[in-house]
Amino acid sequence: MSEAVSPSDSTMLPRMSFRLRLLDVARELLPFAAGIAVWQVLSSLNIWPPVLFPSPVSVFWAFVADVKSGALPKAMSVSLVSLAYGFLIGAAVALPLGYLMGLNRASRNFFDPLVNLLQAIPGLAWIPFAILWFGLGQGAVVFIIVMSVFFPVLHNLLTGIRLVQPVLVEASQTLGASRWAIIVHVIFPSTLPNLMTGIRLGIAFGFRSLVGGEMIASTDGIGYQIFNAQQYFQSARIVVGMLAIGIVWLLLDRLVLRPIEVHTTMRWGLMREGIENT
Amino acid sequence: MTDNADILSARGVSKSHLDHRSGHPVEALRDVSVNVGHHEFVSVIGPSGCGKSTFLRIVAGLDRPSAGEVVVAGKRVSRPGADRGMVFQEYALLPWKTTQKNIEFGPLLKGTPKAERAEIARRFIALVGLTGAEHKYPHQLSGGMRQRAAVARALANNPAILLMDEPFAAVDAMTRQRLQEELAAISAAEGTTVLFVTHAIEEAVLLSDRVVVLSGKPGRVVADLAIDLDRPRRWQDVRQEPKFADYCAELTRHLAGTKP
Repeated sequence: MSEAVSPSDSTMLPRMSFRLRLLDVARELLPFAAGIAVWQVLSSLNIWPPVLFPSPVSVFWAFVADVKSGALPKAMSVSLVSLAYGFLIGAAVALPLGYLMGLNRASRNFFDPLVNLLQAIPGLAWIPFAILWFGLGQGAVVFIIVMSVFFPVLHNLLTGIRLVQPVLVEASQTLGASRWAIIVHVIFPSTLPNLMTGIRLGIAFGFRSLVGGEMIASTDGIGYQIFNAQQYFQSARIVVGMLAIGIVWLLLDRLVLRPIEVHTTMRWGLMREGIENT
Repeated sequence: MTDNADILSARGVSKSHLDHRSGHPVEALRDVSVNVGHHEFVSVIGPSGCGKSTFLRIVAGLDRPSAGEVVVAGKRVSRPGADRGMVFQEYALLPWKTTQKNIEFGPLLKGTPKAERAEIARRFIALVGLTGAEHKYPHQLSGGMRQRAAVARALANNPAILLMDEPFAAVDAMTRQRLQEELAAISAAEGTTVLFVTHAIEEAVLLSDRVVVLSGKPGRVVADLAIDLDRPRRWQDVRQEPKFADYCAELTRHLAGTKP
């Protein structure tokens, strides 16, 4: 028993010393520090007036003021609730429909043309009907997010089902697997990498529609705050809103999506960080 | 020719399919009859495209014959089932299950209790020499180790017959020889009934009690040769045997007479 084993044992994360961890944090922060430095240099050159190009410092103080007044946390929590509802409803429809279409030719033939037609329509194009049906407010925003989340999740799930290796299904059949067992033990885990892509894109598309939807169809939330700040020429507050969205996304990615991938698709060798080591 | 004591009895199996481009029917197998008795190790050899893999897939229930029938352990084959375990060339381990969970998969599907499953897995992991790799995922194993795991998975399900489709074609030559010797030893010790498909003559002779030769396009049985060599069979011993060379030469003659 002396056969070569692949050296990467990705199920075991290396235990790192405090100094190495510090270096790791520094490496992660470096791109952001560089971005802020470029931004600061550009704004100190005074090429544009602050209302067109607010400085990092003014944005920082606007951020502090918005957190102190409670405006930012409130707006963000309203937006995140809309996003959560929109994402959950959109995914709750897309997942069963996706597996049905992927596993059943008749339903695929029936739904595919409809899905294809509808997926080209941007979520924001539903704003007029969203307002007519739900009135100005969170209901309309949630509806727009649902329409934006649904298609990327469905489309990527269908791709994932098409990529399932037939030999894995056949091997399971020769072990006595029923259709249901194949769905649970083979199809579902097989589709996870693409499903995660769909979820990422779904949330990203959801954010876009959230901000657009709130600007037009709501009077609350982070999108509305950005829009509102522009009305009062509070340029620094616009940037606060924009950055807040980016930061919330980063946290969502780091604290929820990445850990799921590390413990599933990466652990199983279905996905890697990159291909520089091959 | 057919015997009730046979585990596998394939009678008059033919298979045609439509060629995608020409639209004409292509005959892959014509009137193939093969029997495999209890504890017998039978290889099917033939040139590429002779339909030997198609024949194995028909026995597994993964393909349907155009004519003829396959009976395994007294039951007519109509779909895949746990009584016909299969080992694929490309391993076909589930990437999201560890070695142990892959091997437990068949018993799990049968509803075997957890403790009993673990016991079965332990036994077959030891049998194929994978102790220590229980909790590794397939991507962390070498090709040879993956195929050991696939063999263990098939055996752990206690099938009436083990079907093997060129299982060692994808591993390196050194590993292949070791896996062949181990399979010969395991199948003899466990009394496994095996139907083995390969294009490698020496491999077939080393492993088998009988070798069936298929001609090419369409596949038809042109020879059925009993291999009378002592066991255990190891490459270093078998190569010294004049009978081994004779068997290989005879099979080569049969294959040469077949169209590629």
